[in-house]
Amino acid sequence: MNAMSKISSAIAIAAMMATTAMPMLTAPAQAATLSGGFDVGPGGFQGNFNPLAATSGFTWLSVYFEPLVTYDEKLQKVVGLLASSYEVSADQLTYTFKLADAKWHDGKPFTAKDAKFTMGLAQNAKTGSVLAARLTAVSSVEAVDHKTLVIKLSAPSSSLMDTLTKVMMLPEHALSQIAPDQLAKNTWWSTTPIGTGPFKFTRYVTDQYVEMAANSDYRGGKPALEKVINRYFANPAAAIAALRAGEIQFTYVDSNDLGAFKNNKDFRIIEGDSFVVNYLGFNHDSPIWKDARVRQAVMYAINRDAIIQSLYGGAAKTANCAYVSEQVVPKNIEPYAYNPEKAKQLLKEAGWDQINGNKPITLLTYYTTPLAANVMAAVQAMLGQAGINVTPRAVDTPTYNSIVLNPTPDTSQFQMVYAGLQNGPDAGSINVGLNEKQIPPAGPNVARVRMPDLTKALDAALGETDAAKRDARYQEVCKVMNKDLPWGTLWVANRYGVASAKLKDFVWTPAPGGGPYQAHPEKWSIAE
Amino acid sequence: MLQYSLRRLLIGAGMLLALSMLIFVMLRLTPGDPIDAYIDPNVPMSPSDLVELRDTLGLDAPLPVQYLAWLQQAVMGNLGYSIKRPDQPVLSLVFSRIGPTVLLMGSAIVISIIAGIASGMISAVRRNSVVDLSFSLFAVTGISSPPFLSALVGLYLFSVYFDWLPSGGMLTPGRDFSIADLLHHLILPAALLAVAQTALIMRYMRSSMLEVLNQDYVRTARAKGVYEFWVITKHALRNALLPVVTLIGSTIGLAIGGAIFIESVFNWPGMGLLMVDAVENRDYPVIMGSTLVIGACVIFVNILTDLAYAVIDPRIKVG
Repeated sequence: MNAMSKISSAIAIAAMMATTAMPMLTAPAQAATLSGGFDVGPGGFQGNFNPLAATSGFTWLSVYFEPLVTYDEKLQKVVGLLASSYEVSADQLTYTFKLADAKWHDGKPFTAKDAKFTMGLAQNAKTGSVLAARLTAVSSVEAVDHKTLVIKLSAPSSSLMDTLTKVMMLPEHALSQIAPDQLAKNTWWSTTPIGTGPFKFTRYVTDQYVEMAANSDYRGGKPALEKVINRYFANPAAAIAALRAGEIQFTYVDSNDLGAFKNNKDFRIIEGDSFVVNYLGFNHDSPIWKDARVRQAVMYAINRDAIIQSLYGGAAKTANCAYVSEQVVPKNIEPYAYNPEKAKQLLKEAGWDQINGNKPITLLTYYTTPLAANVMAAVQAMLGQAGINVTPRAVDTPTYNSIVLNPTPDTSQFQMVYAGLQNGPDAGSINVGLNEKQIPPAGPNVARVRMPDLTKALDAALGETDAAKRDARYQEVCKVMNKDLPWGTLWVANRYGVASAKLKDFVWTPAPGGGPYQAHPEKWSIAE
Repeated sequence: MLQYSLRRLLIGAGMLLALSMLIFVMLRLTPGDPIDAYIDPNVPMSPSDLVELRDTLGLDAPLPVQYLAWLQQAVMGNLGYSIKRPDQPVLSLVFSRIGPTVLLMGSAIVISIIAGIASGMISAVRRNSVVDLSFSLFAVTGISSPPFLSALVGLYLFSVYFDWLPSGGMLTPGRDFSIADLLHHLILPAALLAVAQTALIMRYMRSSMLEVLNQDYVRTARAKGVYEFWVITKHALRNALLPVVTLIGSTIGLAIGGAIFIESVFNWPGMGLLMVDAVENRDYPVIMGSTLVIGACVIFVNILTDLAYAVIDPRIKVG
């Protein structure tokens, strides 16, 4: 054996030894610690610790902060959390909350003064609060005694309770010394925050993970887990790799990535309503969509059932208005079943050749997932067969917003959008996307829908103070939408999370913005 | 020399100023601003909810005013606060990321130099053998694989399939810092980042070595009865290394580009991940700050290199 052979052999042996040693380096799993990608996917907001600035990320925030009220696990009704009970006056103008016996993580008691202080921060836009505009109906907030908070409104608001689910209570004794306009910049949020929730903040390793420890004084009982860790991932694919490698026990998963987890006894797939209706938004500023028959033709030309079956694996419900929930969808509305011949006929009657003919129509979207690309391709092919020539264009969210929210937009850049909007649990959520008063810059009615009947129906539903009549009002909204087609509504898809089979009593649902909802993190546990 | 150094430093400062202006203008030409990035189209929210935020960020002011306000603060050493992470100053955010990137890139460069030179040398000595063919196949694959592809394949193989190494991050969450843990997380991203560069160095080393092995002085050394090992390592290797050293210097840029992909795939908390995230969120202060710091580093290194030439080679005069 000459010298070079020796070198070659030495390298080969070293490589083999290193390879064999690698599994020994793999860290053993820590008991009673749950690691998850809690901020992965559309409901997440990595890097945000300030609930006042949160547009999403509530799944994680509610592990250590708590609101007065929250949604139940099925997102069907609002229930008390830090408020043990609440009453609403007959005129819907006074809300009285009785507060639970809770303590901040530093041991001080949570009182109505803290709740009043928090409401003040949430109402003050200078704090960077994204809730201020939604709380304009609140005229006063009073701490009647330590355990009673009264909120008075200047006018009834059917969305107040929904908004209050997002107002996480904050400690007055820790934050009152900070000027409101400096609050968002304060390091308290990511270094020493305290809440009233089942877990206490312990550390944040910049853009890597956030760690929480059990709050043994939690009023709901000592948490079963010792630690909960929220790992950050640059994309869902990285989180899936970590889940499959056993480094984390939970993450959001795109529907087209579910294949690896189906029929796998090591994992549990959690399925839930996305509460987001996907639609093709006709830009009503563009003359090509003026004729209702053209909009109808779009609906008849797209085989939504086929797309749901082939691309969503059947896990979506066809939407014939903004809603799919039975209680707000009236019977006998037009189902717009796939009928390409009827689509062609309607286009012919409307004179499509003169209106636009074969000229390309930009179909703009901010969805950049492979699934969305396939949906856009299918829609393009189906509309093409009917004689409508659309060109999909996927851009990132800031670019999309800069185009569609521009008060004086270039109509040619987005004659049509493929988008989504939250349609529940509060049915009034869709108002901003359809009400004439919400056309940019006032709001996000990006399709510039100017339909007096629809605006009237939405206003009536939002102003309805009688909860028993509210569903009927939203049925009217659905009916008008189904007839006038401000959007070409497509479907409401399910979304998914995947958890390790070792997790017990773990509650998660793909709520818009991540919730909040009653997840009971204190009950989560992990089998050894 | 001192005069030359000062002149170069002044030119460098001017270049930084020009760079900051260029980035500032390019950012404003990019569609969408931080407010547009903040709005999730799926939730009921509009720009009118964020009027106060726009005011606070000064996004309504004319562009020259915005730029001068930023420059004034930057000169004082204040690069502002991140928009996405308003509780974190840009300067500390950027400095906290330089270390991880230098560690990742440095490790990758060391791996590629050692592996590239060793494999190139072996290939040349064992020309047309199975070993040579295998290394050449690796080189072709390595050069033609884009970093994001090799990163994903590596991630699947070593983290998911074999379950040998962590799938991402720099340290095990919830555990105290240890060098072993850091190395455990570093091996895979550094090795994958090194793939393309190793392949390139290997190819250069192989051809350079083959050329040298045919030189007269190598034949003479063999004729004198010098051991083959010493002929290769002492006589041939030194001369074959010259073009490879030049190549290594010029491929560091390749490592910076690759680091951006690798950091994104492995969630490595370095400058690449920070910049990708900042661009996605139109986080202007972070983009400006990190570009400025990277620019300053590059300019400084260039000045040092020029000065080093003069020191190493007396024929080069500066001043």
